[in-house]
Parts: sequence; C-alpha cells; structure tokens
Amino acid sequence: MTDDPSANPRQAARWGWAWACAVWAVAWALMLHFDGRIGLAQVAITLVLAAALAAIWLPLVSSLASTAAAVLAFDWFLVAPRHTLRVAMTEDFLLLIEILLLSWVVAALLARGRVLARRARRSARHAEQMRSLGDALREAEDPLQRGQALRSALADLLGQPAKLLLRGGALPADDAAAMTLGEPDAGELVGMWYCVRLCRQFGPGTGCEPDLPALHLPLRGGDGAGAAFGAALVPVHPLQMAAPEVLTQAQALCDQMGQLLHRAQIRREADAAMAHAQGQAVRNALLAAISHDYRTPLAAIMGAASSLRDLGAKLSPAQRERLLESIVAETRQLSRLTDNTLQLVRLDAPGVTLHLDWESADELAGAAIVRARKHEPERRIKVWAEPGLPLIRCDAVLFSQMLENLIDNALKYSNAPAPVELVVRRQAAHVVFAVRDSGPGVEPAWREKIFDVFQRGDWRAGSTNSAAQRGAGVGLAVCRAIALAHGGALKLRQRSHGGSSFECWLPEAKGPRVEESYAALEAGRT
Amino acid sequence: MTLRVLLVEDDRELCRILRDAMTAEGYQVFTAASLSESFALLTGLGAGVAAGCAPVDLVLLDLGLPDGDGEQLLATLRQRHAVPLIVISARESDGQKVRLLDAGADDYLVKPFSIRELLARMRVGLRHRGTSIVPAVTRYGLGALAIDLGTRDVLMDGAPVHLTPTEFKLLARLVRSAGQVVTHRQLLQDVWGAEFTEHTHYLRLYMAQLRAKLEANPADPQLLMTEPGVGYRIVEAPS
Repeated sequence: MTDDPSANPRQAARWGWAWACAVWAVAWALMLHFDGRIGLAQVAITLVLAAALAAIWLPLVSSLASTAAAVLAFDWFLVAPRHTLRVAMTEDFLLLIEILLLSWVVAALLARGRVLARRARRSARHAEQMRSLGDALREAEDPLQRGQALRSALADLLGQPAKLLLRGGALPADDAAAMTLGEPDAGELVGMWYCVRLCRQFGPGTGCEPDLPALHLPLRGGDGAGAAFGAALVPVHPLQMAAPEVLTQAQALCDQMGQLLHRAQIRREADAAMAHAQGQAVRNALLAAISHDYRTPLAAIMGAASSLRDLGAKLSPAQRERLLESIVAETRQLSRLTDNTLQLVRLDAPGVTLHLDWESADELAGAAIVRARKHEPERRIKVWAEPGLPLIRCDAVLFSQMLENLIDNALKYSNAPAPVELVVRRQAAHVVFAVRDSGPGVEPAWREKIFDVFQRGDWRAGSTNSAAQRGAGVGLAVCRAIALAHGGALKLRQRSHGGSSFECWLPEAKGPRVEESYAALEAGRT
Repeated sequence: MTLRVLLVEDDRELCRILRDAMTAEGYQVFTAASLSESFALLTGLGAGVAAGCAPVDLVLLDLGLPDGDGEQLLATLRQRHAVPLIVISARESDGQKVRLLDAGADDYLVKPFSIRELLARMRVGLRHRGTSIVPAVTRYGLGALAIDLGTRDVLMDGAPVHLTPTEFKLLARLVRSAGQVVTHRQLLQDVWGAEFTEHTHYLRLYMAQLRAKLEANPADPQLLMTEPGVGYRIVEAPS
C-alpha cells in the first residue's frame, strides 16, 4: 500500500532526512555566526525557522524530537550561563519555552496538512481506479476479460495478484458451473465458495478470521443480500490492511464486478421470461388458428353426415350425392391441415433433419400436378419446366408438400375456369418454382403478413368468398418454413396482368456427375 | 372362388367400414385387431389349405397395433409366402414407408384414403401375385406405346424408340411391376447393382432421359410417375 506508487517510500524518507539535516546545519552555522552580534531573541527566530523548514520533510515524531534537541542545544551553547543547561534569566527561559512550543505547533500543523493531502491523493486515486475498472468492465467482451480487469485493479491496489471465482448459474453451484482465474488450489476454492455462500469478507483487516494469509472478498450485487456472484482472494500482509480505506476500496472494486454480474443475471432472467411469454403467445395463437381451421370443415362434415342420417329418405339422389361429396372434400381438407400442422411443428423444433437427396425439379413439379389433378379433376392445371434444369438438393416429401400446398392455395383463391400454372425455370443462379393463378390477387397490406401462421382475415383483393377465411395461414406458413429449411425463400409477386405468383427460390447447387467411365461404358454398349 | 383378405386393423370403426366395403365388393374378409390375433388367424386358416399355399389371398396391414408393430407380421409372412401385402398407416415417417416397401410390402396407403383407391390398389396387388402363378409380364402397352421385354422392342406409334441398355433395363424393371411403386433402392440395385444403391442422381438422369423419349411433355408425365421420396411407378396398362 503506497500513496504514490511511482516513488520508493524508503528513498523519499532518506531524502527528507538529508534536507532536514542540511537545514539544521545551515541554521546552526547562521546562529553561531550571529551569536554575540545581534540579540538572543533574533538568533532564536532562526531556530524557529529551521524547525519549521525541517518539519516539512520529517515525520511528526522526528520533527518534535529534533526540535526539542535543538532547543536544548541552543540553551547549552548560546544561553548564559553557557555550556550548562541552566538558564540565568527568566526572559531567556520564557524565550526557550516559546521557541519550543512554537516549533512544535508548526511541526504538528505541517504533519496534519501532509496527512490530509495524502488522504486526498488516495481518494483521487481510488476514484480513478474505480472509473478505469468500470471502463474496462464495460469494454470487456466476455466474463474472462472482465475477471482479468478486476484482477489487475486489485493487483494495482494491493500489490499482489488476485484469484477469482465467478459463479455461473444459481446456487447450489459446483466447481464445474463456476469459472476461476489465477488457478486457486483446492483449499483456496473452499474458502472462496464459503465467501460466496455467506457473502462476507474475511481475512486480515476485516475483523473476521484476521489470521488467514489472504483477504477473501465477496463480489456482491444488488442489495448485498443472498449469495455473492463470486469471490476474490488476495494474499496480503496484515500491515497492508492497517488503513481501513484499503479494505473499503478493495471491496468497492469487487462490488462493481458483482453488480455487473447481477445486472447480467437480471437481464438473462428477463430475456428468458420474455422468450417464454412469447413462446406461450405463439403457441396460443397457433392453437387458436388451428382450432378455428379445424372447426370449419368439421362443421361441414357434421352437417352433411347428420343430414344424410336424419333426412336421408327425404333427399333426392342428387342432394345425397352432393352431401357425400362435401364430406369427402372436407375430410381431405382436414387431412391436409393435419399434415401441414404436423410439418410446421416438426420444422419449428430444434435440430430438425431433412432427408436431402438429389432430386429432379421437373419430376417434383410433375408429381405435384398429378396429385392436384386427382383431387380437383375438373380444374385446369398446367405445368411447364425449362429444359435442362439442374438437379436440386432437397427433401422430396417436404418439397412436394410445399408445391401441393401452393397449388391447393392457388386453386382455392382463383375462379374456376381460369387455369393454375406451375412453372419451373432457372433465374439468377436459382431454380424457381412459381405457382401462378389469375385470381384477384392479394391486398398490398397482406403481402408479407400472408405467410404468418397467426394472421387471419380476408387478404384477397375484393374478396367475397367465405373460403378465404379458411386456413391459408397454416398452409402458407408451412410452405415458407419448408423453403427456408432448404436455404431458399418463398416470395409473393403480383402478376402484371392480374393474379398472384407464389415463388419458391432455391439456390442452385453443384450437382453430382454420373461417373464418366460409366457413361463411356453406356455409350460403348449403345 | 371368393378371394380371402386378412384385414389387420385395431381401430374398430375403420375396421368395420373397410370390412363392409370389401364384403360388398365380393371379398371374404377376416379381421384381426392385434398381432397375436392375426398370427392365430393365419395359423387356423393355414391348416385348411394345401401345404405351401398362402392361407389368404391378400393382407391389409395396419402398423401400430396394441401388442406390437405390423412390421413383425410382414417379416414372418415374407419368410413363407408371396401373398400380396398392402400397408395402411397414418403417415409416421417417409423413411418407414420406403423401408416397408424394401422389406417386401407390395404397396402402402396413407390414412386417410378413399375406399375406391384401396380397392384399386388391392386389384393391382392381386393381379401380380398370390391368386395363381401369374406369367411374368413381358408385354406392355399404353396408348401409342408398346413394349416387348422378350424381343427388347420399344415402339411409339409403331416406330422403334432407341433406348440405351441402361434405359431399357430401367424401363423393363418398372414394366415388370407395372402399377406398383418400385423404390429407388430396388431400382438402383436391380439396374446398376448393389453398390449403387445410394446413387439416386443416376436414377434422376436416366428417368429424365426415358421421359424425354417416351413422354409427350416430360414435365407433365402420363406414363412414368414419380412418388416423391419413395420411388417410381409406371402406369398400369389396361388389361
């Protein structure tokens, strides 16, 4: 512990003594020179002056002692009767007493001033230490760097490298969940954990376990209640801790780190709570959307089936046929909805794996068209694929589901005689699957929201069809999730002459080659 | 002779609907709701037929049964008989479908399905195996296309279509199972060899070449159908 770390205290003391001795020597030379030429009182002023000057450099006790010795010497050499300590005249005796008291008062005042100045310097340096630790903690990018900043601040204050323990999660924690700096041994770790759990300082200067070789300081956060966020251990000499400000300062440095950790923990907890709440909201919205989508076809099935059961005999064959058709169609709708919902949940789960393989783009398009025609035989569905398309790397089942959904969507939202087209082409290093309809298009306000599973409402321009209220949400949301899972994108483009084009853009991948030897063999056999 | 069908399905409602529909079509239907029941039924029925003959003509198998997985029945049945077997299941995973087809299932249907589709698939299954020793398919004709596997002739509107040896092998493999899905693995193994079963890109390229030669619009196939993630199927020729 030093007031000015740049200076060696022992050397400074030595210089102080040298200056004081020089002052006294000059003063004595002057006094002996003026002895007998001027009055004793005037000579005595020189002594007072010398005592005051020497007090600037000497410690208080030395200053008082040297002044007393100088007054005795003055009496011995200069006051009559000379070479005795006796004083003949009363005014000389008074003079000696006044010189002594005056010099002592001056020395005491100077010493007091020095102490105050030293304290002010120390406070300034402590404030500077706190500020620079604060800066270092703010700039640090990870707990390791923050720990190093605290260690260097403590080393600066106490002159010894500190060891740190930073606790990770909540208590009860173990060594595995905590981070240590400075390689504390097992015994030191026990002490530090003790310090963390009790959130108390102990060791020299703390009034608790003063015989320990090291100072244990908790990193306190918040109001200091509960467990600390870590502990610092610094080997110190009891003498170092004599000034209480040192302990206060060391604890303040540790608390600065503790508060930072506390704030970080609060932020983490708040983030987790918010994520949980959002997840809950997302699930609730998803469930609400899905149950709404389920209820509609279920109501239709219920209505048709109960009509057939209760009124079957009164219905004409054509009416019965219509009801049966409606049951089949609505059941298919439910089945599609279930597939989409399951797929959405699956794609949303962490660590989802796709069964990627090299697939032919026109095959996937063709298969999707075949299925769509099977379900809607009366609708016109056209497909066109650019010749020479490269193979694409995708999960065929997922990708087919996306294409079927898009075609289904286009069929649902465009009017019956107009055809739906599936066009596959190459564009800007992508393979683009575009499902085009010539329906009324999508309102501008809905163009981005339409892919959001939770968005409900009538997004079609000038819509009058109640079918628009049905789950486009889940269908398009799963399409977008599938496109994203393949590293692609799903975009909605308004066609210049009316209608929408839902486009899946898939980046072109460098496909495998059929081994040349095999191709050569094939050519030879042909 | 009435064709005998074993229906293994644990959902009572679905079981009843399917049984009624098949009975209306003229099949004799035996139902089992569990794996043990189906084994017992097969043993009982097997006692009444000549050794070596299958106890039933066709099996419809649900996978998730209360006392085990339908795959066990498939494995046991395949060790002894070539009886057609169609899996009916809620879609669990696509890998499972392929595995079942590779393990010897003739077809699969994902719930929910229409009765019409089920009956059509059953007819295809029965035509291929089981009821009698069906002569190997060597001739195939659909629309303008005529294929004779014996003479290796492929004619389109009477004009020969030139196919490379690999293209012909691939087409022949599909024709032999016309109407049925042949998995990628089966095709790669039978046409290229066992060491090529992971090279699906071969299939993509050769199927594209075949379609270019045989289809009017390769992107809108009418003959060579794709079952995404599973395999290929050539449309069954009208008999």
